[in-house]
Amino acid sequence: MPEAPSPTSERVPRTLEGGEPAVVVRGVWKRFGRTDVVQGLSFEVRRGELMGFLGPNGAGKTTTMRMVLDIIRPDRGEIRVFGGPPGVEHQSRVGYLPEDRGLYRDVPVVDTLTYFGALRGMSTSQSRRRATDLLERMGLGDSMRKRGAELSRGMHQKAQLIATILNEPDLLIVDEPFQGLDPVNADLLKGVLLEQRDRGAAVIMSTHDMGDAQTLCDRILLIDGGRRVLYGTVPDVRGAFSDGAVEVTGRDIPLEPDRYRSVSHISAVDGRVRFLLRDGASARDLFRELAGTDAVVERFSLDAPDLSEVFLRAVAGDPRAERVA
Amino acid sequence: MSLGAPRGGPGGFLRLVGVVAWRDYLRTVRRRGFIFGTLLLPLGLAALFGLSALLAPAPSGGDPGVATASVVVVNESAVAIRPAEPLLHVIGSEEAATLIRDGSIAEYYVIPASWPASPEIQRVETTGGPLDLGAMQRREAQDEALAAVLRSALLSTTGVRPDVAVRIVAPVDVRVIAIDGGPTSEAAAVASFLVPFGFTLLFVMSIFITSGYLLQSVTEEKENRVVEILLSSVPSLPLMAGKILGLGAAGLTQVAIWVAAVLLAIPLISSQIGGLGDLAPDPTVLALALAYFVLGYLAYGAIFAAIGAVAPGNREAQQYSGFFGFLAVIPLIFSSAFLSGDVSTPLVWTLALIPITTPATMLLVLAVAPTIPVPLVVASLVSLALFTVLATIASARVFRATLLLYGVRPSLRRIVDAVLARS
Repeated sequence: MPEAPSPTSERVPRTLEGGEPAVVVRGVWKRFGRTDVVQGLSFEVRRGELMGFLGPNGAGKTTTMRMVLDIIRPDRGEIRVFGGPPGVEHQSRVGYLPEDRGLYRDVPVVDTLTYFGALRGMSTSQSRRRATDLLERMGLGDSMRKRGAELSRGMHQKAQLIATILNEPDLLIVDEPFQGLDPVNADLLKGVLLEQRDRGAAVIMSTHDMGDAQTLCDRILLIDGGRRVLYGTVPDVRGAFSDGAVEVTGRDIPLEPDRYRSVSHISAVDGRVRFLLRDGASARDLFRELAGTDAVVERFSLDAPDLSEVFLRAVAGDPRAERVA
Repeated sequence: MSLGAPRGGPGGFLRLVGVVAWRDYLRTVRRRGFIFGTLLLPLGLAALFGLSALLAPAPSGGDPGVATASVVVVNESAVAIRPAEPLLHVIGSEEAATLIRDGSIAEYYVIPASWPASPEIQRVETTGGPLDLGAMQRREAQDEALAAVLRSALLSTTGVRPDVAVRIVAPVDVRVIAIDGGPTSEAAAVASFLVPFGFTLLFVMSIFITSGYLLQSVTEEKENRVVEILLSSVPSLPLMAGKILGLGAAGLTQVAIWVAAVLLAIPLISSQIGGLGDLAPDPTVLALALAYFVLGYLAYGAIFAAIGAVAPGNREAQQYSGFFGFLAVIPLIFSSAFLSGDVSTPLVWTLALIPITTPATMLLVLAVAPTIPVPLVVASLVSLALFTVLATIASARVFRATLLLYGVRPSLRRIVDAVLARS
């Protein structure tokens, strides 16, 4: 059975600023034909960080990832991986799960994985041993002699993730890793990704699932039309799109707005009270004022939109995106 | 820390080439299609000889000497015919009738009393049974032998000396001696062209079969979407170089087995075609043939790898490669131009210096030229080697730029940009 930690389990917050950048992208441009697919993109990914790479279809995510992997070269700008230019020097430290999954159809999956490991600098015996261990751990022990064409979609995807982490890479780049998976297998793969991050690997995860991005990612990078739209930690990005509202759950909470100097409007739905703050007032001001009442506060949280809403607003051109671009 | 060993330098490059080459070699030689294709020629040759042995005329029952080699004659004419045992038996008509009835002989000749006034004689033979080509050949030989005997018998009645009579019947026995001591029979002369021509065909076929494996490998990895994982693990140049080497080694394995089969078959063929056994291959010619094969394969390998990367699917890739296949066999179409052995003609030089027709042309030249044409060999080797290097570099660029375009045919401009390293 899998031993990977649950993605919903409590994890210790880490100081992202302290991590050394595994990937640095500065002012990168890439043009195909007459289209600038990537336009002056800059970002960093640190060791021990899981960065969500978000954006609509055709935004330039895959092109950017391929440039970091040195599969294609940028027209302008600079990319550094582990402090040097991307390429053969670092490929053995990288794991890549492309959106278009691929395994040899007529080759046993354990042989395919052994070959992939050997290409990334592992000895054949080491690669085979590790492939066997991971196949067992991911519940594919009985299927390791099956050919690629004989695997179900879920098995295929798990085998692909094994190929990605086979060499315990220092940088993982995964493109839509949970697409088409049932909740059990998706949870298993999420656990594996978090485990990789927690052991210090830098992880870039492209996803269209904002729930996954909000739950799993330490930071997000949203691009649209090849340009950076949002970039920052998940709380910072959500906070930037907050309407200045605070949601409070508890008992005996006064609902008259004139009881608060920091509040302009109050609404209550299903036991949750939503306070809209005045301009210049902060959540801290409201907290102090609530403390001076008889209210018993059980939950106090900034009422920020979730990432799905942030995504839609940012792509639609909401000016608040400028704050975290 | 990653488990992957750090890379860099020529060692890392060569290791990657080796990993890809070894894996592609093993995967190819284990394919059923490869095993079948490789064994087809030796098995075909074995079947040919087996069939020929089965169809060879079996000796008849009774006295094989009399039945197959001797002429049995019943002489009713006035001319004396002396028996010449065991080749000529003169017996009575009743004995002859008995022998043919009990199957001891298959036929006998009757020289009637009207001979030699009338040229007609009779051959009495058994009837029925299947068509017997061996019997037909034997009877033809017996007819000729009997004619010679009767000619001698007639001459002896005219007072010509026996030794002169023999010379009248068989005036000459031409023996041809070559100035260089080589084989001189017509069969050997035919063989001296057919065998190298066959080898040329074999080499060209092999280049294409091997390049076909490369094409198949690239398009398969593209269609399976494995290529993106490969390119994230290995730069395009060692990946392509490994494929070309691994699949080239598979092709060489196939050719080695075929050549071994043909070399084993030559002694068997030479028992039927005189002079074949004397065709000892010249080591220099063999070394040059190998050089043309390797360079030819590398050049076509580079072209075919690029075709595999550019083509949207396997079917299109086969169509594109068919065009180059036609270009490669053009020298075989003009093979009559090589028959004279004069390899200094403009046509031969042109075909030898166009890289994609060089391998087949030069293999033919080596087969027919009385001596190795050094200037042509040097010029063609330099031209082919230069083309191979440029084609490999250009192909690696096209390979890298177009391999990830699944199901899309890249524009000519994009291909040109890739070749010129502008993308």
